[in-house]
Amino acid sequence: MIRKNKDIVIALSSIPNTGKTTLFNVLTASNQSTGNWPGVSIEKKYGHMTLGEFKIQLVDLPGAYALLPSTEEERVVRDFFLKTPPDIILNILDARNLYRGLSLTLQMAMSGLPMLVAVNMIDELQKQGAELDIPILSEHLGVPVIPVSARTGEGVPELQHALYQVIKKPMHTRSPHISFPPVLEEAVKSISRMIDQSSEPQKLDHNFLAMRLLEDEKNTYTVQDQAVGMAVKSWRQRVERNTGTEIPVTCAKCRFNAARGLVLEATDQKPLPPDAHTEKIDRILLHRLFGLPLFLLTMLVLFQAIYGLGVPLQEILSQGFDAGESWLRAQQSIAMLPVWLQSFLFDGLWQGVGVVTSFFPIIALFFIFMSIIEDTGYMTRAAFLMDRLMHQLGLDGKAFINLLLGYGCNIPAVMGTRILSSRYNRVVTMLLIPFTLCSARLQVFVFLTAILFPPAIAPWVLFTLYIGSFIAIFAMGLLLKTLRIAGKPEPFIMEIPPYRFPMIKSVALRTWQELKDFLYQAATLIIAGVVVVWLLTHFPADVPSASADTWAGQLGQFFSPMFTPLGIHWQETVALLFGFIAKEIVIGALAVIYGGVNLKIQIAAHITPLQGFSFMLFTLLYTPCIATLAAIRAESRSWRITILSLVLGLGSAWISSFLLYQTGLVIGFE
Amino acid sequence: MSSPLTIRPGCECIIRSLGQDKKVARRLAQMGVLPDTRIKVIRLAPFGGTIEVSIDQGQYFALRADEVNALDCEMVVMPLSDKTVKINQYYRVRSLFGGKTFQQKMEQQGIIPSIVIQPLELNTSPILIELIEKKKNLTLGLGQADKIIIEVIDDPQK
Repeated sequence: MIRKNKDIVIALSSIPNTGKTTLFNVLTASNQSTGNWPGVSIEKKYGHMTLGEFKIQLVDLPGAYALLPSTEEERVVRDFFLKTPPDIILNILDARNLYRGLSLTLQMAMSGLPMLVAVNMIDELQKQGAELDIPILSEHLGVPVIPVSARTGEGVPELQHALYQVIKKPMHTRSPHISFPPVLEEAVKSISRMIDQSSEPQKLDHNFLAMRLLEDEKNTYTVQDQAVGMAVKSWRQRVERNTGTEIPVTCAKCRFNAARGLVLEATDQKPLPPDAHTEKIDRILLHRLFGLPLFLLTMLVLFQAIYGLGVPLQEILSQGFDAGESWLRAQQSIAMLPVWLQSFLFDGLWQGVGVVTSFFPIIALFFIFMSIIEDTGYMTRAAFLMDRLMHQLGLDGKAFINLLLGYGCNIPAVMGTRILSSRYNRVVTMLLIPFTLCSARLQVFVFLTAILFPPAIAPWVLFTLYIGSFIAIFAMGLLLKTLRIAGKPEPFIMEIPPYRFPMIKSVALRTWQELKDFLYQAATLIIAGVVVVWLLTHFPADVPSASADTWAGQLGQFFSPMFTPLGIHWQETVALLFGFIAKEIVIGALAVIYGGVNLKIQIAAHITPLQGFSFMLFTLLYTPCIATLAAIRAESRSWRITILSLVLGLGSAWISSFLLYQTGLVIGFE
Repeated sequence: MSSPLTIRPGCECIIRSLGQDKKVARRLAQMGVLPDTRIKVIRLAPFGGTIEVSIDQGQYFALRADEVNALDCEMVVMPLSDKTVKINQYYRVRSLFGGKTFQQKMEQQGIIPSIVIQPLELNTSPILIELIEKKKNLTLGLGQADKIIIEVIDDPQK
């Protein structure tokens, strides 16, 4: 009997693309929370439900192909299973292709933990006219098997009932029979006997533990006993010498052989006919010639949809904030406050909150469209199409989408890196995104180029800045690849799932979750950053804000020896400091600093075209805005990566602007 | 005889071993791509380098050429020009990979899908093959051989 006072932990586990998240959403509905797995940037999702008298915590584990990890997600799954075994395992199989998932199912079934298997998408199997012998499957696996369809809800009450039964009367799972080479069987038995004799209490089956130790060199924590460790090492050598293959490959082969046998017994036709729709669609979408143009077209539509809908929404929000500000300022109780406090409240706090909320529409739209693309299965196709190009940077094709969307806004693009498949991909991509020419930078550039360059040249300057952004991304990508800052790229082996219709509920839940995450994880840092810049530009209290005498002005002058070789005056340095809040503020800041009535005339009088170009190049590359940094910090869970992003930006900006300005001077521009 | 999988859409092989890269071998094994698995090239990505393959259990994968080349394979479906094609081995024509003119031309010579052939001379240009059912010898240019997709068979009677 499972202890009654605590929540019962059920782990939801399966290989990728079995509809696990859909089932998770069906079982826990809106009762979900997210967190992070210890030490990694992978999202931990869990939900709550009650079955009869039991309170249950359902943990949605990342998709994993095996308990021997190849990816960060799989490491999370292994550590969870071995360090904190759940009370019950709920494993999911894809009815359309049992073979894919059965190897993991068999591994889990060996753990001895009470377990249940849900065969999902049973309705789609029936549509294909195939049948599944559930009792046979259940008998061979030694655990209850329930056919369900997470989409239609078919079988879900039965699944809940079966779970209830397992909680009420948990049975030690009888290990399914898999035949291994005799020497491996011997090794497992011998090590298992040693575990029997050691004093450490184990919740997991000893044969299972022995197998995990043999397969996984890096699993040193399940059994601490030194003698066991030594025995494992020598057995491992003996088995590998005897079979001539690495143990993990031998094990996988034996498990998949068992899986193949099981499939043969449980289904009447083998293998299932491939999905005809998917084949037809892929013939067009993955076409060697038309595939890429179609993908770029899709991206263009996506981009237009996100920003075409998002920017007007942002404007409405910002008008709302302005209206709120004037209304608040008009209030007696606030107007009576000291001037500096009012300034802090409105120019500091209120503006910080404004910056945070202004990202909401873009982030929401971004994740709505991203989830749709991901849920249909087109994301893996995009990765396939763009792989060659991105491979040069050690990235896979999916990263292209993030980079591209960075050209709209960096923040959702960085948040979206969590869909990428390895830590290397995630870290490198989030370090490259800040070099995209986002819409906020574009506003600054459009404004400045119009003032500083004649109409015939201005568009070319803008175009050059776009090219500069591409070059920066590529150069930085190569640099990061060579420096191995994010570790080594992983082999690219990706399963391409059949196309599916996305579900509104999943998309909505995901988007809501992302907004909540952004609010919790990034908002504080953004508001803090805005307040710090406010402090610098408004103190000491007795000088005009943003003037030469403020701390910011003093900083600008202090750094002027560093910026003079770039052709950047101290006034612009202060504007750059403002740009840290959000790049579009640079123009507004220049207006405050130069103080004159007509900013355009002021700028034209103070800045030469060459200096302006150097300033824009600096603005393009230097530190990501505070919100992007906050997103990088939230996604990477690492200050090292966050600071690296800052350093890379500032360093490359300084070098590029220096080269540009000095070369320009030498050539004879002024 | 083992060789890397010929990377052309439609080519098939049976994997004999997963190659030397441990990381890749493990990953493939865990995803169900194992020795004795039959693997088929579906398509190449734009610019090449990345390949979509399917395996006999109905899964589709994207792999890079490096990973595919590391696999030790026994070719079972390939173009007649493939270097794994041997003399004195029976092959069945699977499909003709070319325009209408080419298909008609081949038909006139008796090369249509499902007929059995046996190469007699391969290291020459043109090559010499025998059409088993018709007991007729035929020479083919290398360009033509490249467009004829064949499948290894054991016994022409079957």
